[in-house]
Amino acid sequence: MKNRLKVLRAERDWSQQDLAERLEVSRQSVNAIETGKYDPSLPLAFRIADLFAMRIEEIFQRD
Amino acid sequence: MTDDTAAASAKRAVTFWIFAFVGAMFGTALLLRTTAIVPAPWGMAVLIAPMLLLIPLVRAAEAMQRQTGCDSAAAVRYNRRILFASFLYVAGLAAALILFKGQDVSKPVAALLSLLPTLPVFGIIWAMGRYIVEESDEYLRARTVSAALVATGLLLAVATFWGFLTTFEVVPNVPMWAAVPVWCFGLGIGQLVNKVRGA
Repeated sequence: MKNRLKVLRAERDWSQQDLAERLEVSRQSVNAIETGKYDPSLPLAFRIADLFAMRIEEIFQRD
Repeated sequence: MTDDTAAASAKRAVTFWIFAFVGAMFGTALLLRTTAIVPAPWGMAVLIAPMLLLIPLVRAAEAMQRQTGCDSAAAVRYNRRILFASFLYVAGLAAALILFKGQDVSKPVAALLSLLPTLPVFGIIWAMGRYIVEESDEYLRARTVSAALVATGLLLAVATFWGFLTTFEVVPNVPMWAAVPVWCFGLGIGQLVNKVRGA
């Protein structure tokens, strides 16, 4: 799955650590999601969407 | 210090303590085996001393986890529980060996003695299970579960193959308690697999 997490984070000038703290996950989780190594569960995807005030499909797209 | 150099320094510290711990354990075991400084049943008790190096090793590992961004409260609790159970295991095994070899014990007493090293190993298994339950970071949990599946597969494969090798008298019997160390070795392999796959 592709995602726009890195771009959205950069737009807000957040580091991976900043985003990890806001999502209450580890920095390595943010890195794994950003690089497409790990697809988040639906609850975490909703948390990410809520944080950026966007819909899930605006952040995550099919390959 | 930048994040990268701090992480590299934390990794070096972990490597140092791993070598110190393994070296001290093997060194002490070799000394006990080749000399008669300590009578045989007491040898295991002496191993508690080099095991103390596990404390700085775990601290260094936790510092590395913080630097590499994969620290979690559940992992810290897991480390503490495993450390505590490991010390209890060596102490329990030492006590059981000393009591067993020191005198003629009846079967029920021997069964009770076998519980001394067994119960701490139950503690280690419980700590592993609790970590998966308590880890709130789904990515870290998924990595551990994936490594645990590799470990379980490896243990089943090794046990099956070894069992048939024993049946056909190629190798000697191995005590069943070897299952946990083999599984833990498999967990390490599983973590390596995660690393290679980039997960």
